[in-house]
Amino acid sequence: MDIKHYNQAPKRDATFITPPNLIKGKVGSGGLSEQILRRAQKLLETHTADFAPLADIYLSRMMESIEKAENPDEDDSLEDLITAILLPCVQLKANGAMFHYQLITRIADRFVQFMEVVERLDKETIEIAKAYHSTIKIVVAGKIKGDGGKQGDALVDELNGACMRYFDKHRDTIDFGKNI
Amino acid sequence: MTYSFQTTKVLLVEDNAPMLELLKGILQSFGIGTIITALDGEEGFVKFCQHNPDLVITDWMMTPCDGIALSHKIRNEKKSPNQYVPIILMTGFSEKKRVFNARDAGITEFLVKPFNTRDLYRRLHQIIERPRQFVRCEEFFGPDRRRKTAKNLDGLMRRKEDSKDTDETKDKTTTETGNNDAPLTDIDFL
Repeated sequence: MDIKHYNQAPKRDATFITPPNLIKGKVGSGGLSEQILRRAQKLLETHTADFAPLADIYLSRMMESIEKAENPDEDDSLEDLITAILLPCVQLKANGAMFHYQLITRIADRFVQFMEVVERLDKETIEIAKAYHSTIKIVVAGKIKGDGGKQGDALVDELNGACMRYFDKHRDTIDFGKNI
Repeated sequence: MTYSFQTTKVLLVEDNAPMLELLKGILQSFGIGTIITALDGEEGFVKFCQHNPDLVITDWMMTPCDGIALSHKIRNEKKSPNQYVPIILMTGFSEKKRVFNARDAGITEFLVKPFNTRDLYRRLHQIIERPRQFVRCEEFFGPDRRRKTAKNLDGLMRRKEDSKDTDETKDKTTTETGNNDAPLTDIDFL
């Protein structure tokens, strides 16, 4: 016998609405031509906006948060301290490559991956955070655009290695399946 | 025949001024007729109410009012002129738990930075060609968080063109900024 909801009143009513597709009505069909997409991409690849002032702001915020994590107040939660370090780094990751600093995006991405899973802010965690901070600062100061070539790879490998050693050391105390 | 964005109004909300200019340039090169800009979610909502744009593209992390709060206002405030407007949220985050957080605030598409123009275009194309239904229930109002992906047929590919198409599609999904792992085509791909 097929009785809808076993004759019980629905508990979680959801209404589905199909709004009018106003934008489709305006733009028509056919997509954008390859020529337009290429022109827009060229604009993205050749613009000359300076990223350094913005990067300096994010780096300063990152260092302030690292220093705060070194000397936290009693009511600072671990999650808040981690997030405060993480956010400016996410900005560096997000914006670096948009302004031709692909190496910054790569380094910052590795650091974000690290910070998303750390469970403590001890001396070693802070050391790693400072290492990432200094490396990004050097890339900005040296105006190292692009992926940094082999030197860029070496830098990323070195920082990755530090993180791997950190997690190897804390293997017994970190719950790798846990979402913090 | 191609899209004509001449009569389209886009609200662009971004607190990073150089990025705002860059995005504006990209949208202009797509042919978007009117681009309204705002530097945070609060100003964004005021301009949204004033101009009633066809699309909102907003950054996530802004102060005092971020992209999530803006999305929430657009979807839920009484004075919002269009609760169904498509919203693209840009962010550097790609962690699942954070993306779910954004999805639950009623955003339509999620665009991970850094992105290239094709990534942005792909989101626009989705919004135009595959609009989401809206769901209203006790604890959520916004675009349906599920989008079913048509599965490939299980049968054999019988024509040469089929495999060629597949290769081309694959090529087009590779990003040009060298950020192959970051962009997520749809929030529900996670």
